[in-house]
Amino acid sequence: MIVSVGTIVGLSAILFGIGAFGFLARRNIILMFVSIEVMLNAVNLSLIGFSRHLEDPRGQILALFVIAVAAAEAAVGLGLVIALNRNKPGAGVGDLTELKW
Amino acid sequence: MLGAQAIFYYMAAASVASALLAVTRRNPVHSMLWVLALFLHVAGIFVLLGAEFLAAVQVIVYAGAILIFYLFVLMLLDLPGEAARPRFGKHWPFAAAVGLSFAALAWLARVETFESVRVGVASGAERMATDAPAQGSLAEIGVALFGPFALPFEMASLVLLAAIVGAVVLARRSAAP
Repeated sequence: MIVSVGTIVGLSAILFGIGAFGFLARRNIILMFVSIEVMLNAVNLSLIGFSRHLEDPRGQILALFVIAVAAAEAAVGLGLVIALNRNKPGAGVGDLTELKW
Repeated sequence: MLGAQAIFYYMAAASVASALLAVTRRNPVHSMLWVLALFLHVAGIFVLLGAEFLAAVQVIVYAGAILIFYLFVLMLLDLPGEAARPRFGKHWPFAAAVGLSFAALAWLARVETFESVRVGVASGAERMATDAPAQGSLAEIGVALFGPFALPFEMASLVLLAAIVGAVVLARRSAAP
C-alpha cells in the first residue's frame, strides 16, 4: 500500500465536501447534478481505498454498482431537465416557480 | 515506492483543485471540462490502488459516457445567458459551511479509526493470501460478480432498464393521450 488508508479517506472527505458545497450553492440544475457526480466519485474513492486496505474485492464491486446507479441517475435527471426546459426555458432552480403560490 | 507516493500526491492535489474549479467556474462548459479532469485523475488514483478494472470503467463509463451525456444536454438546452447570471444562490456561505464542516468532520474521524482496523483484519487478509491462488484484480472481480453477487448484478441491469424507459418517457414530446 503506497499510502495509508487514512490519507485516501481524507482525500475522499475533501472531495465529498466540495461536491456537497457545489450541490447546495450552484443555481444551475445541470451543475447541481454534476456536483452529485463529484460526491459519488469521492465515495467510490473511499470504497476502493478500503477494498485495498482490507484486501477484499467486495469494495470494488460496490463501487461498480455505484457507477451503475450514477448512470441511471444521470439519465433520469437529465430527462427531467429536458422536460422542465420544454415547459419553461432556463435551467436555474430559480426558474422553477410553477408550483409556488 | 517514493515515485508512486509522489504520483499519488500529485493526483490528489490535482483532483482537489479540479473539483474546486468545477464547482466555481461561471461557464457551465468549463465546469464540465474540469469535472473531466477530476474523473481522469481519480482514475489514476484507482490504478495506483490496484483497481485497474475500476479505472477503466471510470474512464469509459464516467468520463466517456456520463459526462458526454451531460455535455450533450448542456449544449442541447442552449443557455446563452447562463454565464451572465449569478453562479451561487444568496445562501452560498451556508453551503460552504456545510461542505467545510463535513470535510473537517470526516478528516478528523479518519485518523484514529482506520489504523486499528488493520489489526483485526490482518488474519483474514493473510488467510486469503495463502488460500486463494494469485489472481489479478479483474479475475477476482469477475468471479465475485458472477458468484455471490449475481443477484445484485442482475438487479443493476433492471435499474438501468427502468432508467432508460423513464428517461424516454420523461423527455418525450408530450403527445395527446
